[in-house]
Amino acid sequence: MGILPDEIKPAMQGVIPSHVVTCARDGTPNASAISQVYYVDPDHVALSHQFFNKTKRNVAENPRAVAWVISPETFEAWDLELEFVRSETSGPVFEIMEMQIEAIASMVGMKGIFKLRAADIFRVTAVTKTVGERIPFAEIPGPR
Amino acid sequence: MAVDPRDSSGLREQIAENQQTIDRLNRDLAKKSNEVRIIQQISSEITSTLDLDEVLQIVLRALDGVLGFSHSMILLKDLGDDVLRVTATRGYAAEGVGAQVRLGEGVIGVVGERRRMIRIGNIGASMRYLRSVRARMEASGEVGPAEATVALPGLADVQSQLALPLTVKDRLVGVLAVESRTPNAFDELDEVLLRIVGNQAATAIDNARTYQMVEQLGRLKRFFSPQLAELIIRGGADDPLKTHRREVTVVFLDLRGFTAFAETSEPEELMGVLREYHAEMGKLILAHEGTLERFTGDGMMIFFNDPLPMSDAAERAVRMAVAMRERAAELAARWHRRGYELDLGIGVAKGFATIGAIGFEGRWDYGAIGTVTNLAARLCGEAKPGQILISPRLLPEVEQMVEIEEVGVLAVKGLARPVRALNIARLRDPA
Amino acid sequence: MIPDRVVEVLHGPAWMQIGTRDEALRPAHTFAVGAMVHADRQTVTVFVPTARSGRVLRDLRENGRIALGASLASHEAYQLKGTYVSSRPTDDADRARQDAYRAALLASALEAGYPEPIARPLALGFAYTPGVAITFRADEVFLQTPGPGAGTLLS
Repeated sequence: MGILPDEIKPAMQGVIPSHVVTCARDGTPNASAISQVYYVDPDHVALSHQFFNKTKRNVAENPRAVAWVISPETFEAWDLELEFVRSETSGPVFEIMEMQIEAIASMVGMKGIFKLRAADIFRVTAVTKTVGERIPFAEIPGPR
Repeated sequence: MAVDPRDSSGLREQIAENQQTIDRLNRDLAKKSNEVRIIQQISSEITSTLDLDEVLQIVLRALDGVLGFSHSMILLKDLGDDVLRVTATRGYAAEGVGAQVRLGEGVIGVVGERRRMIRIGNIGASMRYLRSVRARMEASGEVGPAEATVALPGLADVQSQLALPLTVKDRLVGVLAVESRTPNAFDELDEVLLRIVGNQAATAIDNARTYQMVEQLGRLKRFFSPQLAELIIRGGADDPLKTHRREVTVVFLDLRGFTAFAETSEPEELMGVLREYHAEMGKLILAHEGTLERFTGDGMMIFFNDPLPMSDAAERAVRMAVAMRERAAELAARWHRRGYELDLGIGVAKGFATIGAIGFEGRWDYGAIGTVTNLAARLCGEAKPGQILISPRLLPEVEQMVEIEEVGVLAVKGLARPVRALNIARLRDPA
Repeated sequence: MIPDRVVEVLHGPAWMQIGTRDEALRPAHTFAVGAMVHADRQTVTVFVPTARSGRVLRDLRENGRIALGASLASHEAYQLKGTYVSSRPTDDADRARQDAYRAALLASALEAGYPEPIARPLALGFAYTPGVAITFRADEVFLQTPGPGAGTLLS
């Protein structure tokens, strides 16, 4: 199928934090910012699960989530409608995410302390490039 | 995007968009073919040479000039070790060659350990995030204060890195890494290109290294036993034949009465004695892993701590000397029965020497030169039959092992003050 | 009562996200620029761009459930969960607050280490007017900073 366009990939590099909203079964929404939404394939993304969090608990009850990601190059943004598929603790997606975390952890003296617990895989059910949210670069006030 | 077929302007728009897509795909394809062609050329260049440095430079030059990776490095894995050593770099002000990265440390270390490529474009943001988490964990007592982190080679303010393992069959040969100060600098196409270049580079590097090792082995075998030659190469140490300075323990031995014996004995007798003497002493040298520097008739010079470093060089030297004295005493008993007045004397000293290949084309020796060799020879010269004279510098390391007696004071060429000579009476009984 | 530190954070500069959901529990999102805690230390007004408010307002009118996440560049973060009260278009006073907020966001992004070419568009590049001021009552406040204690109910 291939619902994620190539141009969204820079937004999934974790250069700028993304927003995620989930909802518990009792109807309480949960809104937070996360470092990175990982690109898995044209139909899937992954969130990294390190500390236990409400987002994780919510999608176990109610698998729907939305993510808002920003490109660090064009500053365009996309709304992603997501559906939780599964949590992985092994496999290529988990390994790549784990390696990245391991590498950075070792660079800040946290080798072995900070580990990836799971890679939460979501299916992307809709992608919408947001329109009208950007102020054109030329109009952004420059440095004083 | 659904378009109403009755809407002709919409249709035109759609066609124009499709054409744009086709144009873009064609451009990408042409770009890819171009890059594929270039990579084929790189491939033929690096497989045409067995010179390791040349291979590395060709790879890094191509990555820069052709593919635009302006900061790159190749690290090679030491044979015996879990360490990656920076062997070639491009784009850095200070060379950084020789810097080490342990497997598992940083992006490069993790790539080496897991044997998988990493592409990461948000190093700055990630480090900030983890640092703040760490600060919280420290504050809550979950972790102790951070140890100093190891300095890693490369850009200080790196944001993007793309690193891949260089493997041949299942062996890790090294890691190839490119980096940038711009976030998100590398994409999937870069991964593909680097992987292709990397695979070829891995084979070419492995071949060049093997060739280098075989060459070196051949050279070293002329100076050292095959086992020692192999140990030297495995250790990945610098070429021992290059002149270098090291602190060594030197043992000098010769036979009292040999000159007189040589004058009066038959050639066959002389050779027989020498052969026996060399064989027995030689066994002990091998057993204690000393380096035989020379033997001239009855004189032999052995040293310890080079070319292989040893933390217990002095102890080994002394043990070997004591063993040689015992063995020589047995030989001497036989020699005396035949009327040969031959007895072993030994001198042992410790100090710095200049070591390397001495000689000329066609006739090289592995030699050591320094005051320490003079001192050992002088101590040997002064030794009475059955004595092992050592210099006081050895005492701290061996006095637990041996019982010592003062013998006197010697003047030695090259030393301003005379040297106390000490005889090893016997090994102490082990406690 | 919203704790002092959280009031401080909400008054800026924090990166904020609003979450709502519809009758089928499908979540919706908008970002917010600027917030104000009322004197009662329970009511909060937060400013969102009109362009992004449609779905969120519909949800709020339908079920009133709202979540507001706010994080600093240092990753210190809080989440408020509560009930929708009212909304109105933003006025000049609101916009003045927002301008100050945005300038502070830029400074904090630079201080956190984002390079200029990213910090500036990130802080100043998102349209914030015309805007909607959404007021809600905060029922629960949680610590959301990643690390130990994340998810703790503060009040």
